[in-house]
Amino acid sequence: MEKMTEEQVRTIANMLRKRSLWMIHYCTGCGAMELPPTMTSRYDMERFGMSPYVTPRQCDILLVTGYLNVKTLRRLITVYEQMLDPKYVIGFGSCTLNGGVYWDSYAVIKRLDRYIPVDVYIAGCMPRPEAVMSAFKHLMELIDSGKANGYKLYKKNLAYYKENQRKVLG
Amino acid sequence: MNNISVDTLIKVIVLTPFVGGLLAFIGGKIHRWIRFLIAIVFSFASVFETFMLYNVSIGNIHWGSLFGSELVFQTNPITWLFLFIVTGMSALIVLFSIGDMEEDKMKLDSYYMHLLFVEGAMAGIVLAGDLITFFIFWEIMSWTSYFLVIYGGKKSLDAGYKYIIMSVIGAYAMFIAMALLYGKAHSLVYADVANVLATSSPSFTIWVVVLLAIGLFVKAAVMPLHTWLPDAHSEAPSPVSPLLSGVLIKMGAYGLFIVLYAFLTVNLAGKIMPKVFSTPVLLYIIQWLAGLSIVLATFLAIMQEDAKRLLAYSSISQIGYVVLGIATATSLGVAGGLFHALNHAIFKGLLFLAVGSVIYRTGTRNLSELGGLVKKMPFTFVALLVGIIALAGVPPMSGFVSKWMIYEALLQKKEVFLLIMAFVGSTGAFLYVYRLVHSIFLGQLPQKYENVKDVPIIMQIPMWVLAILTMVFGVMPGIAMDVIVKGIEFFGFKPIAYTLYGFPAGTAMGSLKVINIVSVLMIAFIASWIFFLLFSKTRKVSQYDNYAAGQVVTPELKYNYSFGFYMSFGRVIKPIFKWSIERVYNYWVDACKIFGDYYMRRVYTGNLGTYNSYILIVVTIAAAAILLGGKLW
Amino acid sequence: MVIEKVLMAVGAPLIAFAIGLSFIMLKRKVVPRIQRRYGPPVIQPIYDVLKLLLKEENISHGIIFSLGPIIAVAGSILAVFFIPMGGWNMLSGSADLIALLYIMAIGSLGMALGAGDSANPNASIGISRALTLMFGYDLPLVIIVISVALYYNTTSLPDIIAAQAHGNWTAWALPLAAIVGFIVVYGALGEHPFDIITAPHEVATGPMVEYGGKHLGLLMINHAFHIYLEIALFVDLFLGGGSNLLEFYVKMFVVFFIMIFFDSVFPRFRIDDAVRFYWKWPAIIALVNLVIVLVR
Repeated sequence: MEKMTEEQVRTIANMLRKRSLWMIHYCTGCGAMELPPTMTSRYDMERFGMSPYVTPRQCDILLVTGYLNVKTLRRLITVYEQMLDPKYVIGFGSCTLNGGVYWDSYAVIKRLDRYIPVDVYIAGCMPRPEAVMSAFKHLMELIDSGKANGYKLYKKNLAYYKENQRKVLG
Repeated sequence: MNNISVDTLIKVIVLTPFVGGLLAFIGGKIHRWIRFLIAIVFSFASVFETFMLYNVSIGNIHWGSLFGSELVFQTNPITWLFLFIVTGMSALIVLFSIGDMEEDKMKLDSYYMHLLFVEGAMAGIVLAGDLITFFIFWEIMSWTSYFLVIYGGKKSLDAGYKYIIMSVIGAYAMFIAMALLYGKAHSLVYADVANVLATSSPSFTIWVVVLLAIGLFVKAAVMPLHTWLPDAHSEAPSPVSPLLSGVLIKMGAYGLFIVLYAFLTVNLAGKIMPKVFSTPVLLYIIQWLAGLSIVLATFLAIMQEDAKRLLAYSSISQIGYVVLGIATATSLGVAGGLFHALNHAIFKGLLFLAVGSVIYRTGTRNLSELGGLVKKMPFTFVALLVGIIALAGVPPMSGFVSKWMIYEALLQKKEVFLLIMAFVGSTGAFLYVYRLVHSIFLGQLPQKYENVKDVPIIMQIPMWVLAILTMVFGVMPGIAMDVIVKGIEFFGFKPIAYTLYGFPAGTAMGSLKVINIVSVLMIAFIASWIFFLLFSKTRKVSQYDNYAAGQVVTPELKYNYSFGFYMSFGRVIKPIFKWSIERVYNYWVDACKIFGDYYMRRVYTGNLGTYNSYILIVVTIAAAAILLGGKLW
Repeated sequence: MVIEKVLMAVGAPLIAFAIGLSFIMLKRKVVPRIQRRYGPPVIQPIYDVLKLLLKEENISHGIIFSLGPIIAVAGSILAVFFIPMGGWNMLSGSADLIALLYIMAIGSLGMALGAGDSANPNASIGISRALTLMFGYDLPLVIIVISVALYYNTTSLPDIIAAQAHGNWTAWALPLAAIVGFIVVYGALGEHPFDIITAPHEVATGPMVEYGGKHLGLLMINHAFHIYLEIALFVDLFLGGGSNLLEFYVKMFVVFFIMIFFDSVFPRFRIDDAVRFYWKWPAIIALVNLVIVLVR
């Protein structure tokens, strides 16, 4: 039996991971309305191998759909830390980019990237299912080329992320 | 051993525990270590003597006479089997008691004395060769175990009261049967009784057997005479429960075996009664009572919240299996029933000892307060796990083989409804058995048990011995089958073919070879473990890092599903709980009380004149009876 | 001779796994077609299992937690050897039909132990429901197993299969038992009227709630074995086993195909409704069948 090198194992692992991404069915905000159309028969998401699962222990992708209060951020960080490596985060909707419609609110987080590393952003105030699926395709390309390493960044810059979290959450 | 005759050996076996008990009581007054030492020495001496008695079958060892009937001892392989259970379990329980019962909480002077007396009484019961000896030792066993039960605390007084009253009522039934037999035969040795029953009218025989059975069933807790058991076994102190539940109940089963197959042999039963499904009617009724016992006790056990009550109801269920097996009059069934008696003593003792250890360390036996103790008490967990696998009847532990034998025997006789009830009871056992291990050992560890350690060595040794015995009998049932098959041959059954590891084809409707099951399981386990280890390593997380939809789990939050574990199942079987035998007994008691109150006031009027007339009337009648007695009849 | 035995010992679980996996793949393709969409590619389950096994980090709550899936897989592999597989009676002489019912329970009990150690009430609720459901479907299952054993007057599986040769299957002789057996296999597999065990929306996938990574991969492998075991038992008892592997596979395929259609249209029972359902009509039909067998 030939011994496989690290490179080959990683290539195969990436191929597997991009073919069967499991997302957590965790609806944070109003953007979650766009998930059922993506999952059901018309814009079927399951043909890419993606399917919703329930607990953070079982899935790979965390979809942050919509705005984030401080209250929700606390729970979200717990969920993110309970997921198993390798994990990817997709920021869904404009609220994760720069605050969206709540850009001058005191209770909403403006930039998600300061608290959790985000791999792919989807712009739009409700992105359509086609946009969601093209974002998934983009994520799969990132995984293939090895650039989707948000989780490694989280571990490396833990102090930075924790500092930001503590500033906001108290 | 030829230099000690069997005669003396048997008398020594019966006397050793009594002597030991008295010495322990006296020695305990001097210093408590002497009491422990004497208890250990004498109980282990009994075990040693039992081993010397192996493979001996002899009857009629005379030791006295009473009312013109001889008092004899006897022994045969079935006696040896039960003697082994009695002495072995008592020795282990003495060890456990030394660790568990603490001196300052209660006065323990007579505890060891009563423990050894119970052992002696039970040895006397199984070695008895005639009914008077049996009855004498039966009564000694009843009241010494009553004294043991009431050591448990305040609630155990009520429980013990119910226990002794029902035992006495059963003993009266047996006494009436003995009086009837004595009137006919003038001797109560087993062989004479069998002769008398063979030659008397069928109704007499049936009456005698039914009365004896009532007395035995009170002790063996077959429904509907079981109501004393949950209270007595759960309120008794921790080392006493295994003795009661593992060994005492078997005396009822042993008595049933003697009544059915030494007095009323199978051929006789077939001649005097009609047969249903090729079983005599009386035996069929006994089987149905046992079957009801199995199913209803299982349902009750599933809904319990208290660890020892759960195990007590489970005892009722398992002794139903034993009685079911014994009342099937085929060799496979009787062998299965006796083997299950042996297995039940071992694994129920193991379970009660493990639960007793948990109570010793945590002080509570309420299942909704415990949890997560697997990290703190790993040895107790392994012991409980072995007991649970045996109780559920899953290979590779010993409960599987005995239950298999009972099922096969029932299937051979085409008694399918009883077989269905037995199966349902066994599957129900999965439910309450899992409840026990989950609520005590798995789940979240409450904060107040952070400092719990495992039990001391002297309490662990009995659990290890019993666990190893269970595994040995599970993988190699042939060892126990040696003794059992010789025993049932002695009573006239056809022998059954067996090998060291199971049963070849032809004995039952299928074949069984346990070693294959066990070895493939081991190999499959190792293979999947190696497969598991091939991938990346696991890291340990604390129990608070848990899925709660994002909420952080803190120690104050009770994140454990412990109360009402089978509430949904309870909704399904709620119609069954509408009636209960206990209420029937309470109605009867109340009725007697009302009846008694009414007439008591009439008789004891407090009027001196009435009392004088009572005396006059009674003296007149007595004088008339003495003077005219000879002439009138 | 020894080489043959070793080949059989290694090959039988692999073939069972392959059959179970093919059924999962079939289901992943047929159910989306019923729902008028394309499903994932056919080999999606292999991607899923391999992705789970190759996760970079796994967590565990203790030794019993990790042992749960291992014992589940070991128990399933153990049971594979005792069910005749299309002409191969591997170890069926050592355990008859009654012992087989207990052997099939070893895996789920080990899994229950492991899931209980999750320290999560969702897992405990899931296990309590799984055990209650097992208690529910065991009553009709036991009745039909006894009626089949009485009908053929033996409890050894190879004999039962041999007695069904040449097309006189049990399904024609005892049709009521076959129908009840079909309903019971639903409950045993956790298919849709009875998938209360891992209801994702109610109990957060029940026992699997804290399992991730390679533990979950092992559980999926166990699920494949479990499908094989249940359907193989049904085919052996009622459809005459199979004299060679192809015939066996075809019969199992047909049975599972019919099951997929029932599976995709039913909603979920509540757990006490499921137990009441099993104890009412399937039990009554099975009892009627048993009385017929007794009287004959």
